[in-house]
Amino acid sequence: MITGYANNSRGVGIRSLQLILPSVVCSTHLSKKVAEEVGAITFSHQHGCGIIGPDVAGVNEFFVALAGHPNVQSTLVLGLGCETIQGNELTDSIAVKFPQTRYVVIQESAGMAGALELSVAAARQLHVKSPQAPLDHLVIGVEGNPEARFLDGFGDLVTKAGHSLVIANDFKEPSRNFAKLVREKAHVIASFPDGNQPPTGLPLIPVVTIANAQSLLHQALIDDFDCVSGTSPEQLLEKLFVVANGEASKAERNKIGNIVVPRMVRSV
Amino acid sequence: MSISTPSLLTGFLRKNGKWGFRNYILILPLHNALNQLAEEVRVSHPAQTVITSVAHDWSGEIDSDWDRIHRVFSGFAVNPNVGATIVIGVGSAVEEEIVQAARAKREMPIAYLTLKDSGGFDNLRKLVAESVSEVFPLVTSIKRESAPWSAIVLGLECGGSDAYSGITANPALGVASDKFVELGGTSILAETMEILGAEHLLAARAKTPEVGQAIIDVVARYERSITYEGIDIRGAQPSRGNIEGGLTTLEEKSLGAAKKAGNAPFTGVLDYAYVPTEPGLYFMDTPGHDIEQLTGFAAADVNITVFTTGRGTPTGSAVIPTIKAATNTEMAIALPDLIDLNAGTIADGTETLAEVGERIFAEIVDVANGKLTAAERGGHREFNLSRLYGSTQ
Repeated sequence: MITGYANNSRGVGIRSLQLILPSVVCSTHLSKKVAEEVGAITFSHQHGCGIIGPDVAGVNEFFVALAGHPNVQSTLVLGLGCETIQGNELTDSIAVKFPQTRYVVIQESAGMAGALELSVAAARQLHVKSPQAPLDHLVIGVEGNPEARFLDGFGDLVTKAGHSLVIANDFKEPSRNFAKLVREKAHVIASFPDGNQPPTGLPLIPVVTIANAQSLLHQALIDDFDCVSGTSPEQLLEKLFVVANGEASKAERNKIGNIVVPRMVRSV
Repeated sequence: MSISTPSLLTGFLRKNGKWGFRNYILILPLHNALNQLAEEVRVSHPAQTVITSVAHDWSGEIDSDWDRIHRVFSGFAVNPNVGATIVIGVGSAVEEEIVQAARAKREMPIAYLTLKDSGGFDNLRKLVAESVSEVFPLVTSIKRESAPWSAIVLGLECGGSDAYSGITANPALGVASDKFVELGGTSILAETMEILGAEHLLAARAKTPEVGQAIIDVVARYERSITYEGIDIRGAQPSRGNIEGGLTTLEEKSLGAAKKAGNAPFTGVLDYAYVPTEPGLYFMDTPGHDIEQLTGFAAADVNITVFTTGRGTPTGSAVIPTIKAATNTEMAIALPDLIDLNAGTIADGTETLAEVGERIFAEIVDVANGKLTAAERGGHREFNLSRLYGSTQ
């Protein structure tokens, strides 16, 4: 039995987060200040301007996917004003589905102090903690490459319990695989980092990390992992349920990791 | 102003003969999982203003951009505005290569602390904080001294351009740039996209035919690299913000942007994040993206930057003081805490180009001597690893 939050039309999530979404690198610093002030999540990134070709739609769609994730309760978009990704259009495309969305733009807010004040007020106004609700269908993201036999057993267990799995292992680096799991609306992630990668999370989705016993790096960092390899599928599922019910995973508690926006083409 | 004018500059003389105008302890994470840790150590230190740090997306992946990534991290670590650097990593051969390259570039305290050796995030956080404390007395004991004009390595940047850029702030910055070059300093124009259409004018000012050809070639290479992606750059630029600011074509934007480099002859052309080897005016091949350019400057030993803006932008560098010059008075008044200096007075008719040029020159000297910029007061430390993603440079 998982108790989550009814995050409006986004569905039931396992957290009820407010997302401060900078539409461009130029507003990431402000976003951080606002998020710290109101207890929201945000991330630093280098995108939103000087992008061309498929990245314009790609970055835009990824931002919309972040805002529409079921762990999100509301979104405050912060823009500069003159960037390629126009914050007002981004805000509109999010607000069509999720009315709990606002937009503040630095160039029309009398500067940074003004923008900070307006943003904090808008964020506070938007934030209503969503009511608790049962989550019958948990979407579990699996990042990386667990042993095939383990994955088979885990998959069976998850399906039998009425939940589902999404797998992302295109890259060796966990932070690059997370983008797919954001789009697939995974509530929680079980991450099996490559032996050369540290345990990593992201601010939007709680990540449970599983160490690889063969990795010297992972052995050295064993206290920063939630599970060691050798954990049974049952034990992992149990851990994911505990985290889904509100316990912070280690990556979540240590605030390890960032949201990495996928890019295809160089900046201009 | 003649060359014999005594310098009013002060700075921090480094062992490699370069001058810094700031004296930071830099915490440089080499994996995005360590961004937060770097920041936590920075903000927890009682002398926060001495310490700086950056955040980025890189998680150790090696691809066709490796040379560029390696050059940027190792160059950034040894920028002359930094007195000591604490590199933090996961603990890999790739990271060691970056650290070794940084140590080879400059003799300075460079610590390298890893997750692998420290046995976890908590212990690493403690070790990084201890390392800051250890190096702190050494770095803060370095005092400012009188610096020659050749100490200046000026980065020229524009962002959020408008129809005023090419007639106010950019040519006024050109006046200041010309003066520094004449006095034996270094000045770097960049943003290849923003000289597209004006490259022949710049090439005509090259000191040698080879340098002139290099300017033409770098623009041609850039245009090929974009068309390789199947994109017509002229359809994407000027940006929407530029158009709202009154710019009509990329060529118009370029003609205005090139004015930042005044009228001095070009000494050389630099690839992204390469360090100039002798004083003079250079062109560096960078994206127009403000932060990719600023990061490339930092890795190339630029120690001060003037950033002209028509629409207004708050960003700055973790290691380079970045002076914002407004192109129009309306914006300078509307966004006061983003702007250091208003060049809009030229269009208002209340000041001449030469007068504003003098004012920019004086502001650069003041900021070099320690006056904080708007971006520094605001705590801006934007950073970006510029990637090409397999396109042809």
